[in-house]
Amino acid sequence: MLDILTAVNLEIKSAETISIIGASGSGKSTLLGLLAGLDQPSSGTIMLAGNDLGQLDEDGRAALRGAKVGFVFQSFQLLPGLTALENVMLPLELRSDSGAATEAVELLARVGLSERLHHYPQQLSGGEQQRVAIARAFVTRPMILFADEPTGNLDTVTSQYIIDLLFEMNQENNTTLVIVTHDEALAKRCGRCLRLENGILHHA
Amino acid sequence: MPSHFLLAWRLLLRDWHAGELKILLVALLIAVASMTSIGLFTQRIERAMTDQSGQFLGADLLLQSPLEIDADILNKAKRSGLSLTSAISFSSVIVANDEFQLTHIKAVDQNYPLLSQIKISKTAYGEERPVSYGPAAGEVWLAPRLFGLLSLSLNDFIELGEAKLKVTAVLKHDPGQASSFMVIAPRLLMNIQDIADTGIIQPGSRVTYQTGFAGQLKDRQDFEKWLRPRLSSSQKLSGGTEGSAAVNSAMEKAEQYLSLASMLSVMLSGIAIAMTANRYAQRHFDQSALMRCMGASQKTVMQIFSMQLFILGLAGSLLGCILGYLAQQGLLLILKDFLAPGLPSAGIYPLLTGFVSGFITLIGFSLPALLRLNAVPPLRVLRKDIMPMPLSSVLIYALAIGSIILLMWWQSGQLLLTLLVMLGVFISVAILFVMSFVLLFFSRLAASLLSGPWKTGLLQIIRQRKENQLQMLAFGLSLMILMTIFLLRTDLISRWQAQLPEKSPNHFVINIQADEVRAVEQFFNQHQLQSEGLYPMVRGRITEINGLDVMQAVPEKNQRDEALKRELNLSWAMQIQKNNKLLSGQWWQADDSGKAIISIEKGLARRLQVSIGDSLTFQVADQRISAKIQNIRSVQWDSFQPNFYVIFPEAVIEKFPVSYISSFYLEASQKKILNQLIARFPTLTVLEIDAIMLQVKKIMDQVSTAVEYVMLFVLMAGMIVLIASMQSSMDERLRAAAIMRTLGATTAFLRRSQLTEFSLLGLFSGLLAISGTEIVAYLLYSKVFDLEFELHGTLWLAGPLLSVLLILLISRLYMNKVTRQTPLKSLSY
Repeated sequence: MLDILTAVNLEIKSAETISIIGASGSGKSTLLGLLAGLDQPSSGTIMLAGNDLGQLDEDGRAALRGAKVGFVFQSFQLLPGLTALENVMLPLELRSDSGAATEAVELLARVGLSERLHHYPQQLSGGEQQRVAIARAFVTRPMILFADEPTGNLDTVTSQYIIDLLFEMNQENNTTLVIVTHDEALAKRCGRCLRLENGILHHA
Repeated sequence: MPSHFLLAWRLLLRDWHAGELKILLVALLIAVASMTSIGLFTQRIERAMTDQSGQFLGADLLLQSPLEIDADILNKAKRSGLSLTSAISFSSVIVANDEFQLTHIKAVDQNYPLLSQIKISKTAYGEERPVSYGPAAGEVWLAPRLFGLLSLSLNDFIELGEAKLKVTAVLKHDPGQASSFMVIAPRLLMNIQDIADTGIIQPGSRVTYQTGFAGQLKDRQDFEKWLRPRLSSSQKLSGGTEGSAAVNSAMEKAEQYLSLASMLSVMLSGIAIAMTANRYAQRHFDQSALMRCMGASQKTVMQIFSMQLFILGLAGSLLGCILGYLAQQGLLLILKDFLAPGLPSAGIYPLLTGFVSGFITLIGFSLPALLRLNAVPPLRVLRKDIMPMPLSSVLIYALAIGSIILLMWWQSGQLLLTLLVMLGVFISVAILFVMSFVLLFFSRLAASLLSGPWKTGLLQIIRQRKENQLQMLAFGLSLMILMTIFLLRTDLISRWQAQLPEKSPNHFVINIQADEVRAVEQFFNQHQLQSEGLYPMVRGRITEINGLDVMQAVPEKNQRDEALKRELNLSWAMQIQKNNKLLSGQWWQADDSGKAIISIEKGLARRLQVSIGDSLTFQVADQRISAKIQNIRSVQWDSFQPNFYVIFPEAVIEKFPVSYISSFYLEASQKKILNQLIARFPTLTVLEIDAIMLQVKKIMDQVSTAVEYVMLFVLMAGMIVLIASMQSSMDERLRAAAIMRTLGATTAFLRRSQLTEFSLLGLFSGLLAISGTEIVAYLLYSKVFDLEFELHGTLWLAGPLLSVLLILLISRLYMNKVTRQTPLKSLSY
């Protein structure tokens, strides 16, 4: 068995912004998956919003994610068969929220995509797709947002725009933000910056 | 749950334009439509057959008894809402112009006949007139022969016992004469009211009392159920699907063909459903992971996908039922001449069956894929390489195969056919699989000799060996099924046509005396009648098997067999008859003449449970004769030629009273010759079966059309599988092509390499398909349809060619995308 993360001891406070940097393959995404309850550690405990993830079963963790957690991914993870609007509505629809469409339209307007509601991901640029993903992440008003290399697939100018948007919306919603990235500029915008090296977290 | 239902519905709608769902729905639609239409259709045909046998009997059910029929039975029938007709039949001598003649007499009441019509005419072979009543009191109708034998004309009187009755018509056809081969004496029809006046029937007279029943299907089924257990061993109830042997045999094969077609279209649709469901699932792994990531529980994801499945099943099954009903109406239109107007509808059962079958097909073939979808771990959102655990393949196959066998069996009610088809498919899949390895091996050899786009195309096949093998299997299997069903149709239809070739015999002459044989032959030659030859006929009853009384030797269920109740027509010959086939044992040689050996028909041998070496004893006139079974033959009963259950060699039964039988073809315009024949040989009986033959021919033509029509379903199902199998590999192929274009491949290069790849795929699938076709065809021909099997030379050329063309055509639809779109767009998809 390969130890990817060894001595990781990390506490993240509410409304804190924190970035985790590290080389490719250093285990950043693994750590993020663990923090968000997408995966289970082989040992140790992870508490999310007062809940021990190890004590919850898969459905319990899913319920917790649905209630408290938002995600932004490097590869956007939009469903190709759904329009921008439908993609943003999806998390609300999963909770049977009757106001899904209104809220989704509102969020898409906030990220500047009012004109693109009915476009499919294929018809959108990378930056636009990531904006849809950000709208989707915030539409459930999550307590904590996990972003996995949110600018990894974007050019410099677009990246800047996306970073600005992410931080603005984070402030507006008073969300805790955890970003995994190797973009030093992005990392520095966070209140706290950590570096993952050989499975150990250091202050950067 | 309902809220998820809405979400499932919305996601389903949003997915609709992606394409797989359309294919899935169409596949389901075809499966359900073919099951429903064929189910509805066969039920109606069965009912039509029952109706038709009514036409032969003159009633839906006919009860015959040597004693007067109990009032209980008659009252019960009346209470059940059935209409009744009573008749008495017996043999007696009638007198006219001082001549005597043994006659078969039937006395009927005012309700006779309940179904169909009696045909009478004014002269012996003159124009027929159908009537729905029998003779009035004091009148009789006589068979044509009696006019010659007794030198009678219309309005003359005959004497029967103490009564004098007036002859008012020539009796041409009586619906109750289905078994008229057995009645050698000419017929007379009279009114039952005159029976008392004749004073003929006394206690102990040999008389058959008959009661015919007719009514609604349900009523008569109930009545039959009530009556059967109350019958004494001397009473006989006819009905059900008796009728013309030729029609029955053709219809039986047609029904088997329809069942087979239905099974195969279900199987093909199932394969298409499985493939599309699999692709649908793979394309939705991300959606499943994302939903889990967003907080949906496994249960919710499962609910959403299974509700989608439910909605699809509902839509496919409903639409399929409607389509099936319409298709069945079309089928009925084709067969409208055969089916009586006002035929009772097939009922709701086939529709229900089709509906439920839709769900079974869908679940059996797509559930495994959807279960995988449910098992996608949420971490996949971060790491694309994480795939759901593959389900146990035993589960997948068991589910699919289990549901298909269940369905096929349920639909067709034919376990043997179901198992044979499955066996054929299994063997073919195994062979196809092995062959695909061989083909790939040779491709590798060929690739080392080629260069440029041809090599790239070939390598593409070799590198994606697994995918391509699967595709070849799917493609080959569907082509195989298509070719089998096509071959079978062609061979069945040509056999039906061959069975009743132009100028098949349509008249029988019986009762030719030995001393008349030469004269009759001369008469045939003189009038250029195409006769099938004259066959000797001796009447004898089977009394013992291996020295044991026949009633003790034969199992109880066969003791009522017609062959045991009456005298059989025994014949002799040194050569086997044209339409007979030797199944086991040896035919005799010239020096076997005079030996007490016989050849027996296979059906009779089976029912009597006798085989070669067993000995049968016959009572002929007042003597007994025993003979050993030397061989067993099959007889083509529907050939309209004289056929015999038992044949002796020469010089064994010649000593007994013998008469001869012959059959010949006569055009309608030549009917007058019959008058001359009867005038010259007054003791002959001519049986006119040209009307029945014409009807049989018409039915066979219509059944052939129906068979072709049903083949359309299989064709459609086959096309759907081809499209589905192509689509399932398209994502990969598009990607590969886009990458090659990015790396500098020109459109021409890509086209050529694709052409090579798909042509080879087509060629290989085609070769696999034709090999499989021959195997399955062999099994079906020999075990089910009783057809002669031969290798199909032209198909070995046409099959692979067709396969290449089809694959190229379908691939064009998809691959054009690669050359039209920018590589970036193809890659970003």
